[in-house]
Amino acid sequence: MNIYIFAIVGLILGVVVGWLTPLHIPASYANYTSVAVLAALDAVFGGSRAALERVFDLSNFITGFFSNVILAVVLVYVGDLIGINLYYVALIGFGLRVFINLAAIRKNIMTKRF
Amino acid sequence: MKHERWAIGLVSFILGFMVVTQYKMTQDNIEENIRLQRTGDLVAQLKDAEQEKDALLKQIDQLRANGNGSEPDESLRRKAALTNVKGPGVTVLIEDSSKPIQSGENPNLYVIHDEDILRIVNELRAGGAEALAINDQRLIGTSEIRCSGPTITVNGKVYGAPFTVKAIGDPKTLNSALTMRGGIVDSLKHWGIKVTIKEEQSVAIPAFTGSYREEHLQSNELGGKE
Repeated sequence: MNIYIFAIVGLILGVVVGWLTPLHIPASYANYTSVAVLAALDAVFGGSRAALERVFDLSNFITGFFSNVILAVVLVYVGDLIGINLYYVALIGFGLRVFINLAAIRKNIMTKRF
Repeated sequence: MKHERWAIGLVSFILGFMVVTQYKMTQDNIEENIRLQRTGDLVAQLKDAEQEKDALLKQIDQLRANGNGSEPDESLRRKAALTNVKGPGVTVLIEDSSKPIQSGENPNLYVIHDEDILRIVNELRAGGAEALAINDQRLIGTSEIRCSGPTITVNGKVYGAPFTVKAIGDPKTLNSALTMRGGIVDSLKHWGIKVTIKEEQSVAIPAFTGSYREEHLQSNELGGKE
C-alpha cells in the first residue's frame, strides 16, 4: 500500500513543481515532448500491469522508463533529420501499447475481484 | 523494497512534471492563436483610424478653401493633383483569377501583384494619361505602388483586390495601350486574371489627399548643375 502513496505523492509533487517552474518549451519542440510524454505513460502503465501480474522488476521498470522516453525522442529527431516522419509512428505505437496495457490491467483487476 | 518506493516516487514525479509542462505548452499555443486573432481586430481599428484621418484632412481642405489665404491659382493646384478632376478616359477593373488552382501549382501566379498594377499604370502613362487613380487614390509623382502581403499599398493606404484604375486621357489610345497584342492584358489573361476596360466619356478622379514631404528638397537656381 505504501508504494501507491509514494507514487501519488510523487505525481502530485511533479505536477506542482512543473506548474511552478517557469519552463517554456518552444512550440517547435511540441512533437518531441508529446512523444516523450506518451512514452513515459506507456512505461508507467506497463509497470502497473507488471505489478498486478506479479512480474514487476524494479531495474527493468526504471531502465524501461528512461530508455523509452529518450529513445523515442531521439528516434523522432533522427526521423526528422532524414525526412521520415516517425512522430506519428511513435504516437501510434505507444498509444496502442497504452491501451493494451490498460485493457490488461482492467482484466487483471476484474479477475481478482470477482 | 525501500529503493523501490523512492524509484516509483521519482518516476511519478518525472511523469507529473512532463505532463504539466506539456499542458502548459499547449495552453501557450492556444494563447498565441488568440493573439493572431487580435491582429485582425487591430487591422480593422487601423482602417477606422485611417478613415477618420481622411475625414479630418478633408475638413482642413474645406477650412482652407473658406479662409482668405493666398492660395495658388487653380491651374497650379490642378497640375499638382490637388483638385478633383474629370474628363474622358478609361476605367480598368482588375479582378483576381477565378480559375481553380491545380494542386502543386503556385497560387501566387493567380493573384494580382503590385507589379501587374505598376505595368498597367505605366502603359496608361505611356498612352498619355493625364490623371490616374487606383481605387480612387490619386497617383502623383511620388506615389508608390507596393506589395504588402495579399494587398498593395498606394500613397500609404492599403487596398485589396479587386482594383479599379481610372485614367483620364484619350479613351481609344489608353484602351489600345493596354490591349495591344502581347501587352499587359494578354499576359494577365493567361493566369485567368480578369481585366475589364471601359471607355468612358467622363471619368471622375479625386484629388490627392496625402501630404507632400520636403525634408531634403531645396530650390536650385543653377538648373541641372550643382
